[in-house]
Amino acid sequence: MRRLRRWSLAGFLLLLATAACSKRTPAPKAVAAKAPVDSYELRLGKGIYRHYCQTCHGETGAGDGFNAFNLDPRPRDLSDSAFQKRKSDAELADTIRRGGSGVGLSALMPPWGHTLSARQIDEVLLSVRALRKGSGPEPPASGSAGARERPAKP
Amino acid sequence: MSSFPLRRLFAATSLLFLAVLAVSPAKSALSSYRSVQRRYRNLGMARARSLKDARDYERRPVAIQQVWLRDFEDRVDRCTTCHLGVADTLMKGAAEPLRFHVQTAHTPEAFDRFGCTSCHGGQGPATSTEEAHGTAADAGPPMTPAAYLEAGCGRCHAAEAVSEAPILSRGRALMDLSGCFACHAVRGQESFRSQAPSLTTVSMKTGGMWLKLWLRGPRKVDANATMPNFHLSDKEIEELSHYLFNQPVPWGLARRIQSAGEEPAGNAANGKKLFSESRCISCHTVEGKGNGSAPELSKVASSVTRGWLLAFLRDPQSFYPRTRMPRYHFSESESRDVAAYIEDELRDFDAPKDLLTPVRVNQTLAEKGEKVFRLAGCVACHSEPSGSEEKFGPELNGIGDKKAASLDFGRRTDLDRTLPAWLAAKIDSPRSFAQGLRMPSYEFNAEDTRAAVTALLSLASQPVPEPYRFAAPRAASLVPGGPVGALIDRYRCLSCHRIGEEGGDTSTAPLTYEGSKVQREWLIDYLTLSYSLRPILEERMPVLRMPREEAVQLADAFESFSLDRRIPEDPFSGQPTSDADTTEGQKLYASLGCRGCHIVGSSGGYYGPPLTDTGKRLKSGWVYAWLKGPQRWRADVRCPNYGLTDTDALRLAAYLGTLRSAPAPAPAGGAR
Repeated sequence: MRRLRRWSLAGFLLLLATAACSKRTPAPKAVAAKAPVDSYELRLGKGIYRHYCQTCHGETGAGDGFNAFNLDPRPRDLSDSAFQKRKSDAELADTIRRGGSGVGLSALMPPWGHTLSARQIDEVLLSVRALRKGSGPEPPASGSAGARERPAKP
Repeated sequence: MSSFPLRRLFAATSLLFLAVLAVSPAKSALSSYRSVQRRYRNLGMARARSLKDARDYERRPVAIQQVWLRDFEDRVDRCTTCHLGVADTLMKGAAEPLRFHVQTAHTPEAFDRFGCTSCHGGQGPATSTEEAHGTAADAGPPMTPAAYLEAGCGRCHAAEAVSEAPILSRGRALMDLSGCFACHAVRGQESFRSQAPSLTTVSMKTGGMWLKLWLRGPRKVDANATMPNFHLSDKEIEELSHYLFNQPVPWGLARRIQSAGEEPAGNAANGKKLFSESRCISCHTVEGKGNGSAPELSKVASSVTRGWLLAFLRDPQSFYPRTRMPRYHFSESESRDVAAYIEDELRDFDAPKDLLTPVRVNQTLAEKGEKVFRLAGCVACHSEPSGSEEKFGPELNGIGDKKAASLDFGRRTDLDRTLPAWLAAKIDSPRSFAQGLRMPSYEFNAEDTRAAVTALLSLASQPVPEPYRFAAPRAASLVPGGPVGALIDRYRCLSCHRIGEEGGDTSTAPLTYEGSKVQREWLIDYLTLSYSLRPILEERMPVLRMPREEAVQLADAFESFSLDRRIPEDPFSGQPTSDADTTEGQKLYASLGCRGCHIVGSSGGYYGPPLTDTGKRLKSGWVYAWLKGPQRWRADVRCPNYGLTDTDALRLAAYLGTLRSAPAPAPAGGAR
């Protein structure tokens, strides 16, 4: 009787194993088009930066945009890593939202809080972080961690 | 003891029976989504911000999830069985498949309405990854690759440009510009007309050698060319040129070209001034500088005869009725001057002498040429369609739903066996698939090919169910008719400006509410002698040399019809503005930093239009309405919305209304 039980157990396990292994054969792998490097949010942010910010802050954020030489004081060099380190995400977002005059700086930096949505400000912040000198396509560690784990807005 | 083998047999059979029964639950217990759901539970518990939330995650049953789309052919999407975090903000940044879905116009609010497969494609009812994503051999059509995702938007937004889907919109614009619909039937494009010019005046326009150069590769002659390369053989090109030079030129045009060619040369120096005032590069390019939606002009005198050029400059619209080029109000001698400048400066100085020598027509070759003209497909764009003839190429409806297995890859064994790869190769090198294919090549760059493939993938075989069909509401035309309409047509205002939903987007200033916006007197002066409001732009208003009576007629029409209720006529509601208001307004102008982009007096940036003449140019109601929210008037304008209160906006409008340049500016009064 014991032998019988052992047999049946083995048989059952065997069946289980076959069931588990019976996977469908995958079709020849379809190669998707090249995936973009940046996250979707960062790409959206870069689009907003190009549209609204680049005119003054410049393509690399160095403060050398087309309109920069009309401005006194000149736009901030956003690629400066010391500056990037000093400012928290909340501070930067606040400056974008309320403009220079809102945070006691030059009024030539306009407030964007009525033009951009909160979500767009988050996105453009990602692109500002990506301007930091030496940062690759990914935003710097501190910035990205902050941006990724930031609690969602209600 | 004899019953022993029987009992044994009985036991074995029943065990086998049990085991068979166990197969299905065992398979289910081992399916991969269970482990995904356990991972989701653990991650949720770790990220939960309250004990209650954590409990909710813990209590979640492990089960197949689905979205049932009743209106969408009773579709069932089970993608959320694994993609559990799509609508869960706690899953932001989590690894796939648990990641929170990026916010789009329809997500996460409308997951219940759209499900997943209506945008992403793939197999909704499947519960294994390979089947759902369509990578399994016997699964249905696969998911749309991320690079072409915007094709999904185009399924419901079937005809229009979609602002949130720039790649799709670009692809649609490209298909329109490239004339795809002239050869391929596509739903909604039945009334499409190619912008290709009529060929009736070719024999008086250019020479045989130039024509052959052009036919060999239009883009090599002119980078702005929209005509594709038909890869014609030398023999076909020869025959075609005989055919085209055999076309009878309409009598009226022939006489005009003839007599223009006999006119004496004009004054090139004056022509140069007129040429730059006319702002030709708002559409054309000169050595690559300019908008590029019309031909390059730097060598134009070497490609067209003098008589044709002069006659064309005087009235382009009788040569090409659908041209976007305005009829400038040049006098006879002025147009001669412009032509003289073009003859002197805008020519290819290295061009062979006989570039413009006409072809001496051989009737036999011309007859063969006519066949080429029809068989190569020239006829699809260069003749007026009667509406009943068959399209030259295959229908494109449903191309986005083709199964990869049904596609003919022919000689292209190097391609991935997917629909997007096939489409991209069809656009890039259409003749590489087999011998004898006739589709021309468009020489798109990679980005444009991707956009065109996206637009093609959006062409479904069946329209989406009624509740999902989106058509932008079409308002009645706001373009006036009658004599004013004739003026708008003559000067082709709609080539650059928008009026309501019609017109081009070259200009940033729509004319829909022009009457609520600018002052009549200013507009009359501006139309008689336009100047550049924003000199940094390449596309600027041409000096059309409009006679004053016509300018008055247009300005009056705008003043009475082109109004917008949202722009108050008198924002100050009859209260006279005080000096205190304008002083406050001036302070606001300084404190908001307007000078960063605008010039007042002699200082300020010139990214935005100068405001020196605001008091003469704009109506206060418009200034106020603009200040209350620039993006209401142009969604992509860079002028920030400062969120001004009514009082502040009125004060600033009052201040700007006082700005007038002191002495009469140069363009005052009718120049003619």
